[in-house]
Amino acid sequence: MHPTSSPRAEGGKASRTPIRHPGPGRRLHTVENPRKSKTLTVMTGLFTLYCLLPLVWLVVNATKSQADFVSSFGLAPGREFALWDNIVQVFTYQDGIFSRWLLNTLLYVVVGATVSTFLAALGGYALAKLDFTGKRVFLFVVLGSISVPGIALAIPQFLMFAQLGLTNTPWAILIPSFINPFGLYLMWVFTAEAVPTGLLEAAKIDGAGEFRTFLQIATPLLAPAGVTVLLFSFVSIWNNYFLPLIMIKDPAWYPLTVGINQWNKLGSTAGNGALIQNLVITSALLTIVPLIIAFLGLQRYWQSGLSLGAVKG
Amino acid sequence: MRLSQKVRLLSAALVPMFALAACSGGAGGGGGAAGSGGGDAPVKLKVWSWDGTVARAVPGFQAANPNIKVEVVNAGSSQDEYKALDNAIQAGSGVPDVVMFEYFAVPYFAIPGKLADLGEFGVQNLKNDYVQAAWNDVTVNGKVYALPSDYGPSAMFYNAATFKKAGIDKPPATWDEYYEAAKKIRALGDDYYIAQDTGDIFFLLSLIWQAGGRPFKVDGTKVHIDFTDPGTTKAVTFWQKMLDEGLVNTKITGWSDDWNRALNDGTLATQTMGGWLTSTLPERAPKAAGDFKVALMPQWTQGDKVGSANGGSSFGIPAASEHKEAAFKFLEYFAHGGGLSSRVDAGAFVPNTSVLDSEEFRSKANEYFGDQKVGAVLAEASEIVGIGWQYPPFFEWARSIYGDIASPFYTSGKGSLAEILQQWKQRCVQYGNEQGFEVD
Amino acid sequence: MDLARQIDVTPAAMASPDTAQDPAPAPRRRRSQTGLAFIAPFGALFALVFILPILYAAYLSFFQEKLIGGTTFVGLANYAKLVQDPQFWDGVGRVIWFTLIQVPIMLFFAMALALALDSMRVHGARFTRATIFLPYAVPAIVSTLMWGFMLGVKYGLFGSLNDALGTDIDPFTPDTTLISIGVMVTWAFTGFNMLIFYAALKAVPRELYEAAAIDGANEFQVIRAIKLPAIRGSLVVTIIFSIIGTFQMFNEPQILPSMVANSGVTTYYTPNLYAYNLAFTGSQQGYAAALALVMAAITIAVAYAVQIRGIRNASDQ
Repeated sequence: MHPTSSPRAEGGKASRTPIRHPGPGRRLHTVENPRKSKTLTVMTGLFTLYCLLPLVWLVVNATKSQADFVSSFGLAPGREFALWDNIVQVFTYQDGIFSRWLLNTLLYVVVGATVSTFLAALGGYALAKLDFTGKRVFLFVVLGSISVPGIALAIPQFLMFAQLGLTNTPWAILIPSFINPFGLYLMWVFTAEAVPTGLLEAAKIDGAGEFRTFLQIATPLLAPAGVTVLLFSFVSIWNNYFLPLIMIKDPAWYPLTVGINQWNKLGSTAGNGALIQNLVITSALLTIVPLIIAFLGLQRYWQSGLSLGAVKG
Repeated sequence: MRLSQKVRLLSAALVPMFALAACSGGAGGGGGAAGSGGGDAPVKLKVWSWDGTVARAVPGFQAANPNIKVEVVNAGSSQDEYKALDNAIQAGSGVPDVVMFEYFAVPYFAIPGKLADLGEFGVQNLKNDYVQAAWNDVTVNGKVYALPSDYGPSAMFYNAATFKKAGIDKPPATWDEYYEAAKKIRALGDDYYIAQDTGDIFFLLSLIWQAGGRPFKVDGTKVHIDFTDPGTTKAVTFWQKMLDEGLVNTKITGWSDDWNRALNDGTLATQTMGGWLTSTLPERAPKAAGDFKVALMPQWTQGDKVGSANGGSSFGIPAASEHKEAAFKFLEYFAHGGGLSSRVDAGAFVPNTSVLDSEEFRSKANEYFGDQKVGAVLAEASEIVGIGWQYPPFFEWARSIYGDIASPFYTSGKGSLAEILQQWKQRCVQYGNEQGFEVD
Repeated sequence: MDLARQIDVTPAAMASPDTAQDPAPAPRRRRSQTGLAFIAPFGALFALVFILPILYAAYLSFFQEKLIGGTTFVGLANYAKLVQDPQFWDGVGRVIWFTLIQVPIMLFFAMALALALDSMRVHGARFTRATIFLPYAVPAIVSTLMWGFMLGVKYGLFGSLNDALGTDIDPFTPDTTLISIGVMVTWAFTGFNMLIFYAALKAVPRELYEAAAIDGANEFQVIRAIKLPAIRGSLVVTIIFSIIGTFQMFNEPQILPSMVANSGVTTYYTPNLYAYNLAFTGSQQGYAAALALVMAAITIAVAYAVQIRGIRNASDQ
């Protein structure tokens, strides 16, 4: 771990958008780079361990065959290294339905997150920079309705979607995912801070329409918040379980979460169930890997985006 | 109504989106097509099953019936599937044509008219081709609503190696002997138990069933519940004694990870369960291969031969299905006719006399069970299942709350099984009456 | 706790004193409606997936469905029944207890970690920060499966721990299950909350620290005088987040019973689980809808109370 010299600059005012790290390099102990503390490191280390342990467990157990899994100690490796076997099995079990679930999830995530981010950006922009009657009421209702438990929505949502003939189709998952109130809030706050009204006025004086002004002037400035909203939409859709559980009965349209839970239930249901815990564990691992990569890869963007929401809050 | 108007309006607005889905999603294909097909286009049947063997019968059926296309889908196991079916029926769309039900779930769907009466297809003629008790399970108020597809005659699976270690040389034939055996096994050490129970209602009911208790009596929409008849009392008293004396492991729950491991290392000596355990035990306890054997359930009286059932399932046709005739054709094919053998080969345990009585089935040695002729034991267990058992139509709900009531007893030892059943009855009476039944 | 909801569901703005105000009001022109076209797509879909279903739920809550006899209008009977339903209040009590105990612990950890990382005095800070956040990306399904396996007392890691220490601790008895769920939830969400605090700390102008250093302030004085006040706004946000998430707890108690028996998780363990079971196992949708709406009202009331307090405290300073 090399100490980076000035990460403090990366958060803060997001209008200063991506600031580069001036590369690694040792410096004197200053306010910006004080002496490291052992006690503090050990204490945070313990918490890190708590966060890592289940993931380590998952990785270790994804390398075990079913027979080893039921007969060996949780954190010890099995007699044979079966990770590749397990992965192959995950992708071939039940005629390779796992790849179908993976593709479904990608579809839901890519379309859902993109559209929800775009709608949030449009809406946030309108709230911050444009006029319309009922703005207050609109905000109040959007933010207030968030406290309604998912269950309260799920039943009537299901009945309505069924009447529209949308259950058992990807739309049943996509349409609800298009709405991200938190994203709207973040975009609203962000637009207000990061997009100078004068710039917009200037564009309009030059004859640009409202929409063109939004696309050409505002959108580039909104990128950090956009990535943040996109990523959090991405996670929430990727991890969505309850809604697809109710809406989708055809395994061909399942997302990963519902599929994995169904595999797990095969094992705990009396009767003809098949015991495939090794596949459940391996598929769980495969499910979280893309998310982890996305998060780590885009760390810089979403952390700066999030910081603005926090400041405002 | 304003609401539905709005919904319709929205529906109009969304049609273009949906059309788009049909275009772009089509290439992915694989699953449910939306088109209902007009004219004499082939019929498309949707089958919901979590029993994997049903799909085995599809190729043969489609070859014989080129006009019927069958799609078998796993819409979830047990209550997940029932919830999905209820949702589909309520929504009036996506109702499948053939659906799997555990036996206890048949009255729940049959009594409110959600299942088609199979009488119109001449199903009565098939009656004698099934084990009598299984036929009884799919008959509600005198009408047949499903065909039995797999069966769970109670049998005792026992680990002969553990028995031997404890000095038991033959499986207990009566519950008294079982009690003595339990003490010997318990003496082997900390983790050794003859069985586990953490509040398994199906196991308790199978004991009651065998002892002659008939706690639920259903007549039309009238339900009578009584957990104090002599049979029930005998079974409950016995199991209470087993629990009180610490002879049963109350920490390990069936089908859990811990359970798998305990079966593997031989610390759970017996499982008194449905015959379907035959096909899952080898997966659960691969290391105990050759140790496990099957015997009839211990008897309440020396020399008797009475059994009970624990689990098993059947298939029915929702009243809302649009292809009932074709659906029955397929149902008959895999649960009775030409498709049966492919399922038996795949490991299904069926209550069809044609299979159970066949020499081939009875004389086949099962390698996992040390080459025991398991089929012969289970065939006999099927034939001796006691007649006249009934489930209340709200059993699915009832079993879901049983754990709420039983859990305090199993964790703290407070109360007794008899008290649990009494409380359970009270809840059932209240719920049943709220739901429009007459329950007492 | 429902991961998706927790983030989706943030009336974070409620925490900001000027909820309904434009943060930077556009210059007053004549009341034009240029924004309508921009807000319309969000608004229309919002109506479809939030407003209509809530209205529909309210409508359903006035009816009772029977397996035999169909649906009848019962007025406020479902609400009257709910008020006297001990199972409902049992669940409400449980989530309130959970909120009172787990949320402060989690937020304490989150804040301590954020301060530690912000102090730049920790080795491997980047690695630590990323690792602590990772659990947030794990679906609740997967995390419950993992923890269920790991805490299994007979053969899970906890079993081995008991063997090694000679103890006899069972993490899934009726008395301990809620603690175990707390461990899972803390695992999943500490990192998320930590990041919110961390982001707030990062936004503190660095000149302040330099000034403090020149004044000879020590680390703890800096924390008290600069850092904690900087976090205050975020604290209100995270509290509201956590309350909403906890009040909607569903996944953990729904999945656990299939892994461990007699963990004390009943069908009415949390209000959300109760509503789900009423609607989908008990066919009592009207009653479930009434329950869900009452729960929503309670959640809004609590979130609002926290917000008011947050503002008052802030203005006290």
